[in-house]
Amino acid sequence: MLKGWLVLRELLRGAAITGRHFFANMTFHTLKLFGIRAKRRGAVTIQYPEERKALSPRHRSLHRLRAREDGKPSCVACMLCVTVCPSECLSVEAAEDDDPEIQKTPARFVVDLNRCCFCGFCVEACPVDAIRMDTGEIRLAASTRAGLEISLDKR
Amino acid sequence: MSEVKMVGLTIDGRTVRAAEGTNVLQAAEQAGISIPHFCYHPAFEAEGNCRLCLVEIEGLPKLDSACSTVVREGMIVRTSTAPVLEARKDVLEFLLAEHPLDCPICDKAGECKLQDYYDRHGLFPGWFLEAKEKRQKKISIGKGLLLDRERCILCTRCVRYLRKVTGTGELGVFERGVRAEVGTYDDAPIDNNYSGNLVDICPVGAITDTDFRFKTRAWFLEKRPTVCPRCSRGCAVIVESVSGYPLEEGERRVFRIRAGENPAVNGYWICDFGRAGRRDIDEGRQERVIKSASPESELSWQKALADVMARIRSVPGPERAAKVAVILNSRMTREELTLAKRLFAEGLSLDKIFFADPKPGAADGFLLTEERVPNARGVLQAGFSPRLPDLDALAASVEVLLVFGSHLLDHFSEEAVSRALAKIPSKFLFSAHTGPLDRLAEIVFPLAVSAEKSGTYINIDGLRQSFGRAAEPAPGVVSEHEILGCLAAGLGLNVGEHDVR
Repeated sequence: MLKGWLVLRELLRGAAITGRHFFANMTFHTLKLFGIRAKRRGAVTIQYPEERKALSPRHRSLHRLRAREDGKPSCVACMLCVTVCPSECLSVEAAEDDDPEIQKTPARFVVDLNRCCFCGFCVEACPVDAIRMDTGEIRLAASTRAGLEISLDKR
Repeated sequence: MSEVKMVGLTIDGRTVRAAEGTNVLQAAEQAGISIPHFCYHPAFEAEGNCRLCLVEIEGLPKLDSACSTVVREGMIVRTSTAPVLEARKDVLEFLLAEHPLDCPICDKAGECKLQDYYDRHGLFPGWFLEAKEKRQKKISIGKGLLLDRERCILCTRCVRYLRKVTGTGELGVFERGVRAEVGTYDDAPIDNNYSGNLVDICPVGAITDTDFRFKTRAWFLEKRPTVCPRCSRGCAVIVESVSGYPLEEGERRVFRIRAGENPAVNGYWICDFGRAGRRDIDEGRQERVIKSASPESELSWQKALADVMARIRSVPGPERAAKVAVILNSRMTREELTLAKRLFAEGLSLDKIFFADPKPGAADGFLLTEERVPNARGVLQAGFSPRLPDLDALAASVEVLLVFGSHLLDHFSEEAVSRALAKIPSKFLFSAHTGPLDRLAEIVFPLAVSAEKSGTYINIDGLRQSFGRAAEPAPGVVSEHEILGCLAAGLGLNVGEHDVR
């Protein structure tokens, strides 16, 4: 008997919370509709994935390698990103470039997203600003592990 | 023997005693005070052109270079007063004014003296608004050597090395003042067996090695000393390998071999032949135990060795001397040779113990010797008298043959060896590298190379040098020491493994 009352009490409390949020949000939305400024805005639900919220400019998403003006990668394969990477997910191999001003260029630049923790240290370590994490790609699921090893120089 | 006269002086308030004739820089180093320097190298006379080792000496009106000042009794030297630090900073600023700062693509980065000294003594902001001078960045100056004239700080170590150590003098400084640059005379390439040392002594990344170029970064390398196994000189070398992250797709584990320091043997230098020993560690290696009857199956060396023991046991004791034969080589360490002596000569009382070594090459009059094995003296000391086998006699009588190393082919044609081996019922090969002998043997065991082992070599002058493991062994390889120890245990022989030295 007592148990039944307790359940009912909790049910009513839950309904009260839902009701409070509903009426509060309705009030703020109505105020906004009439152009009256209030302390805060009503809550909005985003219909993901049909609708997308804009990412913050500082948001760290999938890496990309920037290119020079002539299309060659900016990366000089100095391996500083490989050195600083705390999850040891980068694998870079250098090759010789014919231009004596460039000399070193990546033959292979693979990021293993199985391991990557999106800390952004590689971006900070890069002396030539070649790697950035601003593609905005956040849907990075794959059905195999190999599918998460991404060659940045081939993209 | 004449007594070396010692001189007492004070460096940074510390009383230091140094032999007469040493310079202030060396005396300070002996006392544990390091004075930065580029052009000074202990193997050459001081030249004093880089001006970085300036110190304050009481009684002298100006700062003086520590490398070219000889110690005097009662001299008072200060190495870290304000004027000295200021001078160091200024020298570094002058050098960096024309330095390209392409550290990201420079192979020397991480072990570059200019980087280190800027970090320790410089840390000034760049003042120059002017563009830096453009020079040639990639000039081939000889066997595997590239020169970058922008990075060069004109310390002339390379020029002096080629004049004083190799005596070939291929490099010189051309032009004067701001146009001064290092180059070869009439573009004749550097071609001597000691050119690799130029890369080691260049304090910046001006001379780089094409074999190491862009393969990895200096800070990933694990550096361990060992003794060079490529000739009987026994030079000290440093093996630089990457054992963990970053793993590359290529099979390279050992990225380079550099000269170690050993005043009793090689000083500061090694030959290019020894430097190329890197390839022996990584290339053409025997990777797993291969049984010719079932080449695909995975087999542990312990199980495969049980077959070897069974074959030896199947020969009755008194007949073993005639029917079991062993071919060893002088690349084995002194410890392994002692084990082999106790196991084969004393334990099994074999008569037929032979040696097959690589053919002698030409000596070059400096470090490289004729014998291309590191431990020929060790073989004699272990009590062996090395002789080559007579293939026909071997084929006629022997039933079980153990071959260590594949140097039989250096002395006999492949055809002759395969004809002889075909007549021997059981033959086992223990080899570090793949070769034509593999398909002739019943079981092939993958051996460790000397950089992956610890042991002792006795060099051409009888100097006994012990060394530790310099590179992590390739997976699946086994050393002769383990093989011999296991054989002895399996055959019930006590070889007293603990006192093999």
